[in-house]
Amino acid sequence: MASYYDIGDILTDEEFVPVVFHKAANGVIIDPSSETNSVEQGAKVELQLWLAQELHWRQAVSINVPPCFNQRTRLEIQADAACVDLRSRCPYFYEFGCKILPLVGDKTVEFLLLSAFKIRYKEILTKAYTAAYMATSKVPTLLTREETNLYEAAQSSMSAFKIWRMGGPRLQRASVLGRKRKSID
Amino acid sequence: MHGRKAYQLVKEFASGEKGQLKPFNRELFGRVLEECNEHHGALQSLIRKMQEEGLDVQTARNADHYGALIHHLSLTRNKRCLMAYMYNRAEIIRVLAWKVGLLHELPEEIQEKLSDSEEEYFKDHAKTLKSYMSQMGLDVNVDMVPPKDPYIKVRVLEDVGGGIILSDKSANFARHSMHFLKRTDAEQYIARGLMEELTS
Repeated sequence: MASYYDIGDILTDEEFVPVVFHKAANGVIIDPSSETNSVEQGAKVELQLWLAQELHWRQAVSINVPPCFNQRTRLEIQADAACVDLRSRCPYFYEFGCKILPLVGDKTVEFLLLSAFKIRYKEILTKAYTAAYMATSKVPTLLTREETNLYEAAQSSMSAFKIWRMGGPRLQRASVLGRKRKSID
Repeated sequence: MHGRKAYQLVKEFASGEKGQLKPFNRELFGRVLEECNEHHGALQSLIRKMQEEGLDVQTARNADHYGALIHHLSLTRNKRCLMAYMYNRAEIIRVLAWKVGLLHELPEEIQEKLSDSEEEYFKDHAKTLKSYMSQMGLDVNVDMVPPKDPYIKVRVLEDVGGGIILSDKSANFARHSMHFLKRTDAEQYIARGLMEELTS
């Protein structure tokens, strides 16, 4: 249960997926289009992943491919994976995709994730190492959370290397205290 | 929609800078707890309805069962979000206690961000660390790399007051004054941002 407290995992589980209900459910306000407090059999609803996953394992719903893996995204990734704005589609693109794989009947999502990641990973690393010498590029705004972590790790390792080479103060103000506000006097 | 308030709480925590605390959101926390009670109430009424109809609660799979299931899942989801919120905040507080809290009080702006139980947690954790270190006879809070020179040059950034007793002398730390201190003494002041190391 190492991921129970993990914030990234919780936020990934909150992404919406389209489901179709196989069984009816009473007393819940999930379907915004129904007038009563219930969901009918065959209703199409958008649910969060945590709910959809559990209901799927109990055979109450079936899950369809979410909109962020649709045809348009696939074509864009095939054209040029490095420039696709994955963050606006889904900030947890890869984790979300990995969780959906066993639930949805579509086998091509796997290849999509892998090919997108391979191309973007190379871009991320080159940009992270060279960004110090150029103006910051547009790349960081297009990255998912996972890719942003990689990017920041690469940048921090680069700056640590520079500090080691040139020397610098060893003892620092504890970062946990936050940024200091300069007093006006 | 179920679990949205809990999601807001977690998202608020995640949106802050890494390693920084935001003020404890008592209001949202309380609302999530209320939502949990509502789910619990709805769950119980659905189960009672099934029992009145004479169905076996364990095995019957009618619409009420699935409704009760959804309420139960929302309850566990809310619980997970609340627990993760507390857990991750506690982690940051532990780091605070380690870096800053061993000898002195927390700065005011951080103290008002903590809830009451978090303040107690901080104090207890700092106390435990102190007793551990005194039992071992070692100060494990200093820099792990042995320095080339046991003395370093520092400049005082904020007024600390006079007559502070250090390990080998007593000094008066006026603002902008420079001193030649032992590394272990200076470290606690540097970590709290009251001095800075001069490397030139």
